[in-house]
Amino acid sequence: MGDFSDIIPKVVDATVEIFTGMVMMEINQEGEPLTELGIINDSITGMVGLAGTHKGMLAVHFPNDLALAITTSFLGMDVEEINEDVQDAVGEIANMLGGNVKTLLTDKGYDIQLSLPSTISGEEYTFLADSDLQQIVIPFTAPAGTFYVELELEA
Amino acid sequence: MAKNVLLVDDSSTMRKIVSRSLRQAGLDFGDIFEAGDGQEALDVLEKEAVDIVLSDINMPNMNGIEFLREKSGRDGIKDIPVFMISTETGDDIIGEAKSLGAVGALKKPFTPDKVNEVLGPFM
Repeated sequence: MGDFSDIIPKVVDATVEIFTGMVMMEINQEGEPLTELGIINDSITGMVGLAGTHKGMLAVHFPNDLALAITTSFLGMDVEEINEDVQDAVGEIANMLGGNVKTLLTDKGYDIQLSLPSTISGEEYTFLADSDLQQIVIPFTAPAGTFYVELELEA
Repeated sequence: MAKNVLLVDDSSTMRKIVSRSLRQAGLDFGDIFEAGDGQEALDVLEKEAVDIVLSDINMPNMNGIEFLREKSGRDGIKDIPVFMISTETGDDIIGEAKSLGAVGALKKPFTPDKVNEVLGPFM
């Protein structure tokens, strides 16, 4: 865990706040943080890039079934396949978390700009950090599965 | 008289969430118009009777700050109040938005109660 470990509890709080307040879904942080996630199967990832004094990335990895449940709850309408609504909802969750991380890092004296959110999805993929970035992966449980919030940041 | 609202956000999900939150907050509003970026918002303001704008900051094409700057130079629409709704609510960017005419800011994520508290006095 890198020197941004002090903000991790606040990232957890922000994730819970986003889910309970806007997605209308109860979640819990469960399990020890990981240093990498490995191969990701049947999932969709939302991410925002961090640039400025410290480069990095904030990503949220959802299994497809959980992404559908989140989008259904978020939008209040049934969603049965990974489509533009799911991509948009997952991207917006990453965007909101990225905004929180930016605020937390600004409070530490960093000067950070955020990229627009983007998403990737697939049957099997790997999310690799640059070797000069510190990486932490935080597991969360939701009613429809486990998801991960990943923060990569330049030391 | 119920006020017509323009929602400006590149995320269609977020536009739906804000629209739903306005209803859940029990605020009295009229028509809701939508735009996906600042340029689209300017086009809507030139054509429709909008009373208040709720705008994201971080958007493609024309972001929320550029939108405020452009709007402030157009006589017919420059006095329409704008609220920023964004993940970015640091003093620097909100200060810049307010210097360009924004009347307030609401941080994402938000609850209907927070929407009522912040936007209620303007609706």
